[in-house]
Amino acid sequence: LNAAPGRPPRKQVRFLPAPAPGGGGAVELVAARVPVLADHPLVRGPRFKKLKIGAGHRLDVKASGVFVLGIGHGNKLLTDLYNCHLTKVYTVGGLFGKATDDFSDTGNLVEKTTFDHITREKLERILAVIQGTNQKALLMYSNIDMKTQEAYELAVKGLIRPMGKSPPIITAVRCLQFELPEFQLEIHCLHETQQYLRKMVHEIGLELKSSAVCTQVRRTRDGVFTVDDALPRTQWNLRSIQEAIRNCQLKVETELEKTLG
Amino acid sequence: VMAGAVRRLLRRGLGVAAGPPSTRQLREAEEAAPVFQYAGKAAKRKDRVFVWGFSYSGALGIPTFVRPDAGWKKPRRIQPTPYRLETEEKISSAACGYGFTLLASNTRDVTKVWGMGLNKDSQLGFQRSRRDQTKGYEYVLEPSPIPLPLEKPQQTRVLQVSCGRAHSLVLTDREGVFTMGNNSYGQCGRKVVEDEIYSESHLIHQLKEFDSRVVQVVCGQDHSLFRTKKGTVYACGWGADGQTGLGHYNITSVPTKLHGDIAGVNIIQVSSYGDCCLAVSDEGDVFGWGNSEYLQLASVTETTQVNVPRHLPFKIGKVKEAACGGTGNAVLTEEGNVFVWGYGILGKGPNLVETAVPEMIPPSLFGWSDFSPDTRVAHVRCGLSQFAALTNKGELFVWGKNLRGCLGTGRMEDQYFPWRVTVPGEVVDVACGVDHMVSMVRSFT
Repeated sequence: LNAAPGRPPRKQVRFLPAPAPGGGGAVELVAARVPVLADHPLVRGPRFKKLKIGAGHRLDVKASGVFVLGIGHGNKLLTDLYNCHLTKVYTVGGLFGKATDDFSDTGNLVEKTTFDHITREKLERILAVIQGTNQKALLMYSNIDMKTQEAYELAVKGLIRPMGKSPPIITAVRCLQFELPEFQLEIHCLHETQQYLRKMVHEIGLELKSSAVCTQVRRTRDGVFTVDDALPRTQWNLRSIQEAIRNCQLKVETELEKTLG
Repeated sequence: VMAGAVRRLLRRGLGVAAGPPSTRQLREAEEAAPVFQYAGKAAKRKDRVFVWGFSYSGALGIPTFVRPDAGWKKPRRIQPTPYRLETEEKISSAACGYGFTLLASNTRDVTKVWGMGLNKDSQLGFQRSRRDQTKGYEYVLEPSPIPLPLEKPQQTRVLQVSCGRAHSLVLTDREGVFTMGNNSYGQCGRKVVEDEIYSESHLIHQLKEFDSRVVQVVCGQDHSLFRTKKGTVYACGWGADGQTGLGHYNITSVPTKLHGDIAGVNIIQVSSYGDCCLAVSDEGDVFGWGNSEYLQLASVTETTQVNVPRHLPFKIGKVKEAACGGTGNAVLTEEGNVFVWGYGILGKGPNLVETAVPEMIPPSLFGWSDFSPDTRVAHVRCGLSQFAALTNKGELFVWGKNLRGCLGTGRMEDQYFPWRVTVPGEVVDVACGVDHMVSMVRSFT
């Protein structure tokens, strides 16, 4: 950033002594535009010494995916986005047959079970029930009085969401792949942590009378930011960052306006 | 010298070094761990019955709610969330009356029907008291078998049961319909006997004279409807609101065929619970008769009682199923949409209190979304002032007046739009009563 051409130095009008056009030792004052010495880079030093970077929703060490950062003035937008309470989308991979103490495949083994009785149909039934109970939680934690007409209208449109603190809520689950013993789910959630998603995989295993561990947690969307907007490791340079910020600006503004009014 | 000795031992492999287990050791330990089997490959899904609502009448069938087994426990008047009821057989049909419940199984065993709850008019048959062999129970607290006078008990199967205010009907596949309970208005299909005492009565009447086999029985508050295989409808009982549909307002004590707009029409479903009745034909038309004080039939007539079946010209598509409640009605169309009309809490928010024309409830309230576009309602059922809808994904939605916790939501407030009931299983069927509900549920795995 410091290597980029900075602002041109300010100019000021000063009256400088200059030798007079006539001969002799007389000195005349001539108005001239001269750069202010205080603005000189050697006097002032590098323009950017520190950068304020803030992080959006937390991401585990073992998880991967979209991670939102705010730079400088963007940190204020971060708090606004947090108050919007938008859903995040995760791709969660699981493995049947094992149960570990920290619900992931790198933990200490607790139990091994059979899983040949599990079918895709049974898994989808469990997912439907999870969705159902979480829908109820969604309506309950949104702190809207159920007896009003506006609650009914919001419920019809599906816009009821808890706008304050709430326990993790899952708005939608879908099974993407199912090949015993592995399976992959797409989960849309609010206010969650990655460990809660791993615990959910473990609980799905228990409901199916077997056990499951979580092999992969990948965030594919965080509010308005998707995997397409995100920069991979190879593109962590100034130009791509600036371009990414420019592309996302409009999206963030429209979303904030829509939700916070 | 000691250190040298230890190192020589280690090199010869006689001593084992301690320390954190290596990856190879972990993997070997994992592979050697025992594998537990909780469910085999051919594990079948279990069928269960869940009940909720007002329990003090014994209608839920759990005796510890009314008479707790320990002295310090208080009786539970209301069960606000679904509670599992243990049954001996798989229950295929259930019906909730006004304070009592009937459960039926289509087994060939001798005991096919169980009843619990109020028995002051012998609507559950004669339940011999264990303390005094000559008297019968007035309140039955747990599912007790009902002795039906069958000719061939080991061959006949019970297809369906239905309950009204103080009478009940049992439909069998080859021995007609059995009726029991109060008969002061002829709702049991036999002649009204003056000053008959109905409590502790042994009398169970059998009805066999219909033009073809009876395939559905429905109880209204004080009348009974019978639907035969040919598509005709018979009625008997109280008729002051015209709910017998026979063209007069008197009581009828013998099942008589209905005419009016349904003459010659093949009716595939009949429904009633209060004093209004609805029938659905095979072509998707809806016919109604009975009480219309709450605008249930106001689309065809201004009168408050209709005693002849009238066709209701609704332009909502082909109707698959109808459900009639006390003051409100609901129908389900072929596309899976639910339409409601009448008076009371209809399910479209607190502002919609009465309407004569059916209004659709948005499918997004039943779990339909872009994420799961194939979710649709499969059945609708009505209690006296509640509605219940079952989706094809096995979820149960209820709305209406929450009388004594009958909605099963866990709260005591009325519900103005469809709300999911959390049941640990896939709901297959539900029966709604005045203040309690019974559901047949299949477990997930």
